Amino acid sequence: MEERQYDLIFICRPDTPEADIDKLIATIEHTATDKGARIEKTEKWGRKRMAYRVHKLREDFYVYMILKSSHGEVVKELERRLKVSDPVIKYLTVRLDEELKRQAKLKHHRERRAARRPRKTTPAAAAPTGEQAQGIA
Amino acid sequence: MPEDNAPQQQAPAPSGPGPRPQGGPGGGMRPGGPPKRGKRSFVRKKKVCRFCVDKADFIDYKRAEILAPFIQERGKILPRRMTGTCARHQRWLTVAIKRAQNIALLPFAAEL
Repeated sequence: MEERQYDLIFICRPDTPEADIDKLIATIEHTATDKGARIEKTEKWGRKRMAYRVHKLREDFYVYMILKSSHGEVVKELERRLKVSDPVIKYLTVRLDEELKRQAKLKHHRERRAARRPRKTTPAAAAPTGEQAQGIA
Repeated sequence: MPEDNAPQQQAPAPSGPGPRPQGGPGGGMRPGGPPKRGKRSFVRKKKVCRFCVDKADFIDYKRAEILAPFIQERGKILPRRMTGTCARHQRWLTVAIKRAQNIALLPFAAEL
């Protein structure tokens, strides 16, 4: 099976010490690599104001990760772990590889179209001045 | 004013890139037919899809600041007819907004 890409975001309580968050990230990474996933990126967004209150908290600590894995089991395991760990109050995993693939495809199409456009318009618009069109092309 | 507008609108059509069907540029006219002279003909500004202008192939749910203009104060997702977003981008946009809501980057509803 081909490799899938996941975005994993989780939110910790703002009163957890930085060391605990680092430890949590380390365990998450460890579990992920154990299950055969690769960590592409780990980012601590830090304290951010949330759009609504969760557990009566207005502000929280965001951690963002990009994972790559060829099977979905790892997500299940990670979500289970996030669910039981105390400081985490919210998490979200999104599978993104299909959208990224689509993005790449559309970009490819656009580039090809952009490359083709001058050739297509010149013969119709400027047929008598062929040498000019060639000069431009 | 409306009498002035109609000829101006139709004038650039023949000089455009290709032959066009009757009715001039698609911007201001209602599909009901040619504009009636005098009353009831005002030119509506054509809204364009913001994402098409930016040539967006992917709408990132993590960037709440680009999604924020497409929700109401109360948290509703604005319909296409209000924002002018094209069908394809609206489809992507709703998915992105819903994801952002789930991770508390955007509100589901206004706070009390």
